[in-house]
Amino acid sequence: MDFKEKVLQVIAEVCEDDVVKEEHDLDIFEAGLLDSFATVELIVQFEEQLGINVPITEFDRDTWNTPNAIIDRLNELK
Amino acid sequence: MKLLTTIAQHAAVSPEQTAFRNGEDAISYRMLWDRSDRLAALIRNSCQLERQTPIVVYGHMGTDMPVSFLACVKAGYSYIPIDTSIPMERVRLIVEKSGAGLVINTTDSDLGLDNIAVLYTAALQLEQVEVIDRDLWVKENEVFYIIYTSGSTGNPKGVQVTAANLQSFTDWMTSDFPLEKGKVFLNQAPFSFDLSVMDFYPALQSGGTIHALTKDVINKPKQLFENLSGSALEIWTSTPSFVQMCFPNPDFNAEMLPELDTFLFCGEVLPLAVAKELKARFPEARIFNTYGPTEATVAVTSIEITEELLAKEEALPVGRPKPDMRILVVDETGNPLPDGEKGELILVGPSVTKGYLGEPLLTGKAYGIVYDMQAYQTGDAGLIKDGLVYCQGRLDYQIKLHGYRMELEEIEFHLQQSDYIKSAIIIPYAPEEEIEYLIAAVVPEANDFEKEYQLTAAIRKDLALRLPAYMIPRKFTYHFTIPMTMNGKADRKKMKEEVFA
Repeated sequence: MDFKEKVLQVIAEVCEDDVVKEEHDLDIFEAGLLDSFATVELIVQFEEQLGINVPITEFDRDTWNTPNAIIDRLNELK
Repeated sequence: MKLLTTIAQHAAVSPEQTAFRNGEDAISYRMLWDRSDRLAALIRNSCQLERQTPIVVYGHMGTDMPVSFLACVKAGYSYIPIDTSIPMERVRLIVEKSGAGLVINTTDSDLGLDNIAVLYTAALQLEQVEVIDRDLWVKENEVFYIIYTSGSTGNPKGVQVTAANLQSFTDWMTSDFPLEKGKVFLNQAPFSFDLSVMDFYPALQSGGTIHALTKDVINKPKQLFENLSGSALEIWTSTPSFVQMCFPNPDFNAEMLPELDTFLFCGEVLPLAVAKELKARFPEARIFNTYGPTEATVAVTSIEITEELLAKEEALPVGRPKPDMRILVVDETGNPLPDGEKGELILVGPSVTKGYLGEPLLTGKAYGIVYDMQAYQTGDAGLIKDGLVYCQGRLDYQIKLHGYRMELEEIEFHLQQSDYIKSAIIIPYAPEEEIEYLIAAVVPEANDFEKEYQLTAAIRKDLALRLPAYMIPRKFTYHFTIPMTMNGKADRKKMKEEVFA
């Protein structure tokens, strides 16, 4: 699995929905797939499964809103 | 009413003190008192409503929300707070069912309501000075506010809280908790959720400042922590889930909030691990756990969570009853059980509210008279040991998710309304003691979607029209049938096994 697939897998697990693997530009907050509580879980899983520490204060809904955007941000932090 | 008289005194003695702020706007005690008087006069003069007619106050956390609440009760009406997170269809239902005579809209959005007068606070000049006669204020046994909670038949039900109920609660908060005068209180919960009452009225009665977090701030961790850093908070009031959400930030501790000396929790189970973590991060602060349903005015038990209690490594108690309340544990036939035995918790005394608005049958089922006092049958399972009350889940399908109370049957009712669904049941996912999210196990109607996620997206869209976001399941699983029990009911246990297989 390449990095992109791994990230998509983590997002799909936390959202409990495979839609994110298919629609990479879907706004996951607008679609109601992720609330504030699941957001925290997502950050924890990035750390656990990908070894990337995303400081919670860096997480902004406007720039972490789609699977593609999340992959870009994680690439920057890698 | 003492609460209102005291707010008037604060307005006279420290007029410039901030009563309420939300990060953008703030309102002083003088402005709060003055504007609510004027708005009360305007409502009285222009609407000709019968005394005690409910008034819907719609909005999020703008300064016009507290103004409108006080205006309603000063003019002798009750108010129904409705947060902007509630979908329009549900707002319409509440307006209709409550028999509300007016909607005060503190937002700019058009609610599309017909057949009811709508007052936009933004457009109001309120220049006319008119003092409202105190004789008009809501009286002891009249309704002060009505909060709508989830109902199992698919309709939300309105709990009517009287002035006497609220006064009794507020007096208990300000005397039995370390809430000295003039403190800064956190308000995290939307006003349609009665956890907000836990900070709102105790803060106003003690001349304090309510520091409200808007959903935009809560949704952006960066803004949230900047906001908290500059908040000078002294009293923290939230659900345990909310404080837990702050834990991933290692800087969330006494250094970030040096003035914080008291945590008040309500709305759901306080997990031992959360209380421990909090003690480690805020060693000087005192932590209080409380418990109570909306029907008994916010909370009726309390306990300070001490190091000693934490060291026991046991599930935390919800505490001792509020001094004027009696709590009984009864078996299925209503007979009181001895100490330490598990049964249903019955609350008796002046915190118990008036019942559900316009629902005599539902009221009759849940409310009654015990020892000549108003009593409420909670549906909560629990026990009392050495004078301490312990909660142990529910006897029915009501649940708490991140502090929000809901009936699984209500979500199921709305799922079944969807054209894509034949039948459905909701399964809470709770790997440990608290529920993390909801799973909808669905038997779908025939459909043209290629992939399951497309069907899920369509169902979500449907649900969002009728239910608040916090009631929409996170996960959807699809099945051919729902297993049945011997007597023809949905077999939740079997379904659960199938979902987790």
